Amino acid sequence: MKVENDSHFHLETESAPARSLSEVPLNRWWRIERLEGPHEECNRLLDLGFTPGEEVIVTHAAPLGDPLVIRVRGALLALRKREAAWIFVE
Amino acid sequence: MTTRIQEVEDQTRELTVCLVGMPNSGKTTLMNAITGGNFKTANYPGVTVSLLRGKSKAEFGCTLNVVDLPGVHSPVAPSPEEELACRVIEGNHERVRPDAFVLVVDATQLERHLKFAGFVAKQGKAVVVALTMMDLLRQSDQSVDVEKLARALGVPVVPVDPRTGGGVPELVKTVHAFADAPPIGSALARLPDEPVSAFKLIRELLQRSHAVRRAGRLSVGMDSPTARIDRIVLHRYWGFPVFFVVLISLFAAIFWAAQPFMDLIDAGFSDAGDLLLRVLPDSVISRFLAQGIVGGIGAVAVFFPQIMILFFLMTLLEDSGYLARGATLVDRPLSYLGLHGRSFVPMLSGFACAIPAVLAARAIPARRERLLTIWIIPLMSCSARLPVYALLLSALLPAGSAWKQGLSLAAIYVGSLLIASLTAGLASRLVFDYRKPSLLAMELPVYRSPRWKPILRMTWARGSSYLRRAGVPIMTVSACLWLLSNFAFSSQSIVTPAKMETSVAAQLGHKMEPALRPMGVDWRVGVGLISAFAAREVFVSSMAIVFHVDGDDDQTAQAGLLEQMRTATFPGTSQLIFTPSSIFGLIVFFFFSLQCFSTVAVVRRETNSWRLAGLQLAFYTGVGYILAVASVQILRALGVA
Ligand SMILES: Nc1nc2c(ncn2[C@@H]2O[C@H](COP(=O)(O)OP(=O)(O)OP(=O)(O)O)[C@@H](O)[C@H]2O)c(=O)[nH]1
Ligand SMILES: [Mg+2]
Repeated sequence: MKVENDSHFHLETESAPARSLSEVPLNRWWRIERLEGPHEECNRLLDLGFTPGEEVIVTHAAPLGDPLVIRVRGALLALRKREAAWIFVE
Repeated sequence: MTTRIQEVEDQTRELTVCLVGMPNSGKTTLMNAITGGNFKTANYPGVTVSLLRGKSKAEFGCTLNVVDLPGVHSPVAPSPEEELACRVIEGNHERVRPDAFVLVVDATQLERHLKFAGFVAKQGKAVVVALTMMDLLRQSDQSVDVEKLARALGVPVVPVDPRTGGGVPELVKTVHAFADAPPIGSALARLPDEPVSAFKLIRELLQRSHAVRRAGRLSVGMDSPTARIDRIVLHRYWGFPVFFVVLISLFAAIFWAAQPFMDLIDAGFSDAGDLLLRVLPDSVISRFLAQGIVGGIGAVAVFFPQIMILFFLMTLLEDSGYLARGATLVDRPLSYLGLHGRSFVPMLSGFACAIPAVLAARAIPARRERLLTIWIIPLMSCSARLPVYALLLSALLPAGSAWKQGLSLAAIYVGSLLIASLTAGLASRLVFDYRKPSLLAMELPVYRSPRWKPILRMTWARGSSYLRRAGVPIMTVSACLWLLSNFAFSSQSIVTPAKMETSVAAQLGHKMEPALRPMGVDWRVGVGLISAFAAREVFVSSMAIVFHVDGDDDQTAQAGLLEQMRTATFPGTSQLIFTPSSIFGLIVFFFFSLQCFSTVAVVRRETNSWRLAGLQLAFYTGVGYILAVASVQILRALGVA
């Protein structure tokens, strides 16, 4: 796994719990750990390519902080923060 | 489960092929390439919202019935247009029975598109994959080996470039050859429904077969033109300024770019009118032709260049890929108002015409947000209002200040966006109280540089359909109105030219006078307002007719009309009709009122009931009248003439 973390941070976050995609810093690669949210909506996100194990990067936050623009499987998708919060990454 | 008899029928029948795939994969572009059609394509997901039908061009040898479907992100929790597509794919549609599918797959996003392909391949119908966006693949230093991919998936794969027609003949041939070979047992059809393992299998398939060669993960698109543009247009501080500059320059450009063409058309119609009067002997007929027909149509035709420029710029914007960014930017404010990021595109296309805009609202997933979007679309300043505003602004502002008129027009447009937002905000709180936020999950396509030929073709298609739609009411109403305002009831024999004051139109118009006086206008403007219910543009031709613009030799018809309007007074007094306050009132009236029965009809069809449609008609027209009266009275009270 090649998560682009800087090395100091890395040691401390080893055992850190997964964070939701809505609150991670921009422009770093993350690996999806799990999806946790309303059943139907999460199924749709899975169908769109947000599957556990997949690597994603948040490339932009819109001027008002929401929605987030996320790159997954070669596509750019805009997700609201509420939706991104269902995606837990490490 | 086809019975024997149906099977026999099937053989004599032409093949029905459906173009399916995820949104924005190039289905409609491919449809146009196969059928030679001119269906709407644009660079954002969710353009096609209904089934488009056509027949393959004769040059491909064999005829296919081609049906283009709306794109589907996922069969889970579909929006109405996705549901329609899924119904056809699963064979549940009453009329469209596909024999084979052309799966349109974006080569730059194989994994995601193949996941959806699995759903299609399972239906037991023949499947041919059409691989689009191969040119983009080359740019981003990746490649797809078509043969290896076909072998890995177990279905035929044909690379195409729908924009140039490359690969399309091969595609048609392949479809014919494989039409009765459903991919049962192929790797694609065996993909599980469950997304996690399906994606895993797809990746394994692609890796094992070496079908895809790509550069390192980090280089994917991070330094592409798209990423660079996005850094500006989605910028924390620059995002919104850029957004407003784009919108305002779109609307302001309409005025100054159109002027030379407008002068040309104006001169043409004026000359035609003069010529008629000179060539034909002076009679009722010649004056009917010159004033009623040529004059009436000419008054509206002058504004055609503005409408074409609006269509052109909108097509350009739609093709660029910016719209999805715009939708992302405004998603937050719009959802605060009870709308959805996806409401942005229908709202914007409402500036061209409310009818396609109401249809475009199908792409909005939640019913509540869709209805609310439909509710506010009539407020968007559509192209039919453009001639009216243009005429009124020219009358209001001194000649030779095109930039002032341009900016005022832009202000009206942006104002209609704001008022619509306000209306939505109020309605979502007062009427639609049930709030369950829906999913955004919207794809942002890569930017594409404009291709002029298709853009001009699309502009022309939109423009000519506009002419067809508006032409008939303009012509009929102009003709009727000329007759009504030039003949009188009273005498047995027809007296012409009747004095305006005694004409039939005047007699009818006088009955409305009490309602019109508070708006600061007389019966002649009232006649225009009523006839505008046939089509809003008719207001302009009515003005030309009731204010009797006769071809003054050294003046064009347009200048003559403005002159007449500036000097027109209430009968028997020296009080001007068109003062700043009354013109403003008229603008307010047109801003709100729903003078378009086609919109009412399409809203009724999309919502399946008269309730929303009828309410819209009554509400907006009523509000338009009340606010027009209020603004005239307030302006007068403030001392504005
Ligand atoms: N570079 C490139 N662009 C393409 C290609 N095929 C289509 N496009 C562009 O992709 C965009 C989307 O095309 P459409 O045909 O509208 O897509 P669609 O699949 O019908 O989309 P929906 O109707 O929203 O489902 C348009 O701007 C096309 O010009 C291709 O092979 N290469
Ligand atoms: Mg389409």
